[in-house]
Amino acid sequence: MASPDFQQNYFELFSVSREFDLSLALLSERFRHLQGQLHPDRYASKSAHEQRVAVQYSAFVNQAYTTLKDPLERALYMLELAGVSAEQVSAEKIDGGFLMEQMELREKIESIADMVDPETALEHLMSEIAQDTKNHEREFVEALEADVLNGAASACVKMQFLRKLHQEAEQIEAGLLN
Amino acid sequence: MALLHIAEPGQSAITHEQKLAVGIDLGTTNSLVATVSKDGASALPDDRGEASLASVVSYADPAKVVVGREALAAASEHPTDTLSSVKRFMGRGYADARDEAERSQYKLTNEDAGMVSFATSSGVVSPVQASAEILKTLRLRAQAALGGSVDGAVITVPAYFDEAQRQATKDAATVAGIPVLRLLNEPTAAAVAYGLESKGEGLTAVYDLGGGTFDISILHLHRDVFEVRATGGDTALGGDDFDNLIGDWILHELGSPKLKAGEHRTLVSLARAAKEALSDCAEVVIPLQALQLDTSELVLTQNRFDEMIKPLVKRTIQACRRAVRDAGLSPVDIENVVLVGGSTRVPLVRAAVEDYFQRKPLLGIDPDQVVAIGAAIQADILVGNRPEGELLLLDVIPLSLGIETMGGLVEKIVNRNTTIPVSRAQEFTTYKDGQTALAVHIVQGERELVSDSRSLARFELRGIPPMVAGAARILVSFQVDADGLLSVSAREETTGVQSSIVVKPSFGLSDEQIGSMLQASYSHAEEDKEARVLAELCVAAKQLLEGLAVALAADGDELLDSQEREALDAQMLRVEEQLTTGDAAVLRAVSDQLGRDSEAFAARRMDKSIRTALTGVTLDDVSEEIGE
Repeated sequence: MASPDFQQNYFELFSVSREFDLSLALLSERFRHLQGQLHPDRYASKSAHEQRVAVQYSAFVNQAYTTLKDPLERALYMLELAGVSAEQVSAEKIDGGFLMEQMELREKIESIADMVDPETALEHLMSEIAQDTKNHEREFVEALEADVLNGAASACVKMQFLRKLHQEAEQIEAGLLN
Repeated sequence: MALLHIAEPGQSAITHEQKLAVGIDLGTTNSLVATVSKDGASALPDDRGEASLASVVSYADPAKVVVGREALAAASEHPTDTLSSVKRFMGRGYADARDEAERSQYKLTNEDAGMVSFATSSGVVSPVQASAEILKTLRLRAQAALGGSVDGAVITVPAYFDEAQRQATKDAATVAGIPVLRLLNEPTAAAVAYGLESKGEGLTAVYDLGGGTFDISILHLHRDVFEVRATGGDTALGGDDFDNLIGDWILHELGSPKLKAGEHRTLVSLARAAKEALSDCAEVVIPLQALQLDTSELVLTQNRFDEMIKPLVKRTIQACRRAVRDAGLSPVDIENVVLVGGSTRVPLVRAAVEDYFQRKPLLGIDPDQVVAIGAAIQADILVGNRPEGELLLLDVIPLSLGIETMGGLVEKIVNRNTTIPVSRAQEFTTYKDGQTALAVHIVQGERELVSDSRSLARFELRGIPPMVAGAARILVSFQVDADGLLSVSAREETTGVQSSIVVKPSFGLSDEQIGSMLQASYSHAEEDKEARVLAELCVAAKQLLEGLAVALAADGDELLDSQEREALDAQMLRVEEQLTTGDAAVLRAVSDQLGRDSEAFAARRMDKSIRTALTGVTLDDVSEEIGE
């Protein structure tokens, strides 16, 4: 059978404007509205064929929603729409200053368990990471608006670095709680 | 019913008659069946007026399998023939289950390296068969109460059940002769029961501590859509463990005497009684005469009991913490906390939940029945008894899915807590020159190494033309349906060579095994099977034709060109001709063909409906609706 072939991109699918700063409330409202029509449960008493179509459409909508909901995924997707592939993004050169900062942050995380008040230190660090991420999101938006695609790509790579760091911090936190 | 009936809410294309739908809570300790009547959803009692069926099956008498209260009464007398807590063995291999079995004194068999089975006086019994006996008892109860055969059931499973455990549950339903509409996660079912009751909105945490499993789910109710935001838990942690701790303590206090098999059961029931009493009292006297030892009684205080179970309760709170984080929230964001499962009556459990969420839990519905009631409501929706289909559940997968890559590492393809259904694809390549086959090993879990993950299935993609290493482009696609069950396909992109598998977990049952179990359970054939098959096919074919006619009248001219229309009409005629011939195989073939022929049309109608769904709603309208 034909797989769902939506000609629209994810922004068009949800009828939201193609910009980084989209309204998450609006996005999720549209998402629920679409699933209300397409979800396989709506076809539970119908034929197997209909259910298969519904599963594929519903999965497509889920994929689109997951992508747009997350700032980093959304940024990467916008680059993809602009013709920059994921491989091209990860090949982007990053300035040495950023990498130095990353190394320092990483060292901080590794030594945190030995600190007097590791919980508070970790909390500070995590909010620092969150703030840095916000800054790079702005950097991304400005670069994309000015059509400087390699600038937008390098902002994405920095966001990826910070995402990874944040995950590590979370793991350390989970370890502290145990 | 050929096509997606994209009817306006409230107007279904074909009028349905009321169907008999039930919700079944297949629990570790107790099971229930519930249904929706005009007075609302309620659990169906047995002839003694009891809603709970003890999840205990006795195989002591090879001539008669006994389920429930009577089986429980025989537990001490026939310890190895009386199976309780079989849910803990569902979908498990021998190695997983050994510790569990040592406690419960069962004789395990491990004949075919598949799912573990029990050796009883009536022969080898698998957990699936024992579960099927429980389900069958509930099915008969429902049929007696409702006066007809059950058209469909929603069966609940712990949200944290993995692929093998879900498949085993579905297999048990098949063996019991129950058509499964959906497997529904227990916490989601509970939230449905509360959601419809209170018409509440907002974020709800469901803390479900049953006899053998623990689940935590964070849900968001927004108008008529329930979105599961995150889920977590432990499939081997529950009230039974509390009982075992008390049992261990009693033995320790008595200087670790050696017990006979039957006495172990007695010990566990004494422990359970003590636990239950401690929900209301500060201390309890445990009578030990039944064990025929020197000591006649012991006193257990609530403080001592709290100390014993504290590490287990702490584990549940850690799971809560992780689920709240996965949902991108903090505990204060949660507006409602729902308690499910008998073990939430334990004071320490309540206190810990209250302390973590900083909120008093909701208690309106009986925690033992809330899951079955939610399942009944969902079943009623799924069979189409509520034409407006009021409530939609968007559930998630509990554990990440991935495949094995070089070096025994796991490449995750679908992350845990992803909303289902989901399709994901990832490209892989060959690592040797001239490699013509690729083994795909599917695993489940959060760990990095294959050896730490649960192996679900393996299959091979063969017939890749010889190429240099890295030149083949192999797309591996995962699809998880609304039940949380997985199918995987692999395709070499440059040649189109394809292979796929519906994942039957390593511990699952083969179709032949299910077939022979079915055979056994239908040894006294209730009705002429062939005639029934033909009758069902005729009904389905008529519905297909009818639905297609309605759809064609509405959209046929717009969405099909004349050639496509003619082809469909011709195939419809073929089906119509076969309705009266009485040949089931031919009728099935032409109906299936019509179904496939009409899929493109169905897809176009779906596209059209999406466009319609989103046009005519302006940005302002929606912003207003959501109160921005």
